[in-house]
Amino acid sequence: MALTGRFVLLVALGVVPIVVLGDTVASALAVLAAWLLLCLVLGILDLALAASPRALRVARVLPSRVRLGETVTSELYLTNEGARRLRGVVRDGWQPSAGAGNNRTAVSLPAGERRLIALTLRPTRRGERTAAHVTVRAGGPLGLFARQATLHAPARIRVLPPFHSRKHLPSRISRLKELDGRTSVLVRGQGTEFDSLREYVRGDDVRSIDWRATARRNDVVVRTWRPERDRRIVIVIDTGRTSAARVADEPRLDTAFEAALLLAALASQAGDRVDFLAWDRRVRASVQGASGAELLSRMVDGMALIEPELIEMDWLALPGQVRGITAQHALVVLITPMDAPGASTGLLSVLGQLTQRHTVLVASVTDPTVAELIHVRNDRADVYRAASAERTMLDSARVAAAVRQLGADIVTATPEKLPPALADRYIALKAAGRL
Amino acid sequence: MSAPVGTVAPSSTPTIRATLRRSVFWVVAGAGALLVAAIAFLATSASGAAGPPLAADNPAQAGSMALVEVLRQQGVTVVPVDTLGDAAAATAGHPNATVFFADIEGYLVADQLAEVGVLADRIVVADPNFATLQALAPEVGFGGLSPEDALVASCDVPAAVQAGKISPGGKTLGLAADAPGYTACFPGDDGTFSLVERVTSDGTITLVADTAVFANEKIATFGNAALALNLLGAGDTVIWYLPTLADVPVTGPPSLGALTPGWVTPVMVLLVFTAIAAMIWRGRRFGPLVAENLPVVVRASETMEGRARLYARGNARLRAVDALRIGAVTRLAGTAGLPRTAPLAEVIRSVAALTGRPPEQVAAVLVSEIPQSDAGLMSLSAAIDDLEAATVLAARPAGSGPSPPAAPSTGRMEP
Repeated sequence: MALTGRFVLLVALGVVPIVVLGDTVASALAVLAAWLLLCLVLGILDLALAASPRALRVARVLPSRVRLGETVTSELYLTNEGARRLRGVVRDGWQPSAGAGNNRTAVSLPAGERRLIALTLRPTRRGERTAAHVTVRAGGPLGLFARQATLHAPARIRVLPPFHSRKHLPSRISRLKELDGRTSVLVRGQGTEFDSLREYVRGDDVRSIDWRATARRNDVVVRTWRPERDRRIVIVIDTGRTSAARVADEPRLDTAFEAALLLAALASQAGDRVDFLAWDRRVRASVQGASGAELLSRMVDGMALIEPELIEMDWLALPGQVRGITAQHALVVLITPMDAPGASTGLLSVLGQLTQRHTVLVASVTDPTVAELIHVRNDRADVYRAASAERTMLDSARVAAAVRQLGADIVTATPEKLPPALADRYIALKAAGRL
Repeated sequence: MSAPVGTVAPSSTPTIRATLRRSVFWVVAGAGALLVAAIAFLATSASGAAGPPLAADNPAQAGSMALVEVLRQQGVTVVPVDTLGDAAAATAGHPNATVFFADIEGYLVADQLAEVGVLADRIVVADPNFATLQALAPEVGFGGLSPEDALVASCDVPAAVQAGKISPGGKTLGLAADAPGYTACFPGDDGTFSLVERVTSDGTITLVADTAVFANEKIATFGNAALALNLLGAGDTVIWYLPTLADVPVTGPPSLGALTPGWVTPVMVLLVFTAIAAMIWRGRRFGPLVAENLPVVVRASETMEGRARLYARGNARLRAVDALRIGAVTRLAGTAGLPRTAPLAEVIRSVAALTGRPPEQVAAVLVSEIPQSDAGLMSLSAAIDDLEAATVLAARPAGSGPSPPAAPSTGRMEP
């Protein structure tokens, strides 16, 4: 049960009869006791006349997924199975990060009828957001006391990564098509796979004329090329402790997801096979053998539940994991922080194994504030900070040099620039025929 | 769209009945604890020294309930009174009464004590203080504590003679040997007595120095009971007068309590109840909290800041300036169009040629100068910055416009 403000007011109003009727201390105390008794009796009467919040049927209608940053309507249907009309307030018990706001909804529910309570959710975090219960407070006809019950009514909604970087997708796809020779701009020599022979038209590069075929026919014939297709791409995301750090108020892991999603969307558009692996000491998520729209939906589904683990990444087991995905040559994209030589020893120790068999691309998020701080030198603390920032960049430059020496390629960029930079590097590798 | 009917959801809030049933143990236990506490309180107050001393209704050790009860059994009417006014009214109603008087707290002033002296023919004063002695028996003084082992009557006061001995060790009174109208009993050493009786035309006043004669604790020892009963039991009524605060004369304006209307205290009680109701109203939560696992928030630049603080705390000036120089040299090599791996001497030569500064000065800024103080570090860092800006300006082709210096490279140039 619960009290209302009206009951408090009623108790406070007892001042009037006490002052008017209480001439002596004894009579005033008697009036006080009588007033308190009256309040209590009225309250208990009110409580007895209130509808039971336990006699409710609860049903929910809720989409199973929502992308972070978008809103979704949670529908809660309450059916009054009791004999009295229920007047009160309903709270739907969502987690704070489900973005339900101050969800107090007033309801008036006649006996035997059903009402819809619609609540707009705007989740503020990726992952599984849950609701545990529905709390109903049913007031009595006088509005003094109220009956309250918490009804078990679980619900869950999966909040997917936002994939903001999809805005870069159209421009990258058009660049892919340029490679393909399907547009008017011919980029001779970029492709590495022989496609077909066709008749020469004016404007074709004369270097692409196939003289042998021209000799067999009476017409000038040119070769067309297309970029290689059906290559394998393995995207590995480091979900270890270093991925929890925030750069530009976004965890490195989320930036890695953005970059991985853009690359996967682009590569599956280009006809390559994409496999995805989130790894620290065990497999957090894995998508294999999917393509097209299914690939992206399975990837975001798997990513939704991944949080950075506060453990060290197990690099030694990574070559085995990649070998389990594919035995052929593949482009292995490692998305991992690359900060200090000490922290990157694990990565460097296995990179040689991977580059022997595969083309390896290491993508890493850099902190834009570090580069800014180098030139802020206003006082003593600033100079030391600038020196420290310089040292940080030197450290990562050393790691990058070591990575290059081991035969891997590197992409580093600030959080908002990493996904398009990775996509551009993929296109460049594809154009160069290194996949 | 047809919505699902749903199910009757189980409630996790217990009903009032279930709450009561669950808390029945604690209710019973609380009531039992209260009961035990009440019994313990009554037991201790019966045996302890609490309560006003010599009070007629006080069963504690310092009280006099035993004496009063025995007097009542003997048919003597004992009338306890609290104020001088009540005492005067009671003696007016019982002209043959004996007055028992003990002003242990010293509430009365001289005028009131003089009035006490004429209340009745027989007055027994226990433990008189200085003001009482001045008003009722000015010749009597104090005698200190009695060192005697036993106090024997040694006088012709009938009550004292019948008592024989009284309990030793209490207070005594001092009296000069030739004081007229006084009879002294139970002598100690050096002119001290436990009992002094003064007979005047107004009546008899008996001063008993030691309250132990009347108190419950020792009344049954020696001849205490005989002395007390004989002193007080002479008439058929005893006015038992112990002054209280009500005897203190009121001075100044009426007190706050006298001016306060009757409803003030109940209204305050009502406000307390209102506050409790308001607390319950605001404090009742609307269903339990929903737990959420929050992620760890670590800024990536935290290690960089920590290293900067370590440099600053350790005054690692050379190390700091080295870091700044290595970064600057890498960028200068890029600006001057040299490879990243260009030797330092070559970079210095190119920069000096570009900016037109003497090579020694460039070398001092980039290599040789060692900062000796924080001011030196600051000026050297400014010089490095200045050299970089000058090189960028000089390397820019003429006529490219007064644009600000190019954004500094991050040092992570992609191949």
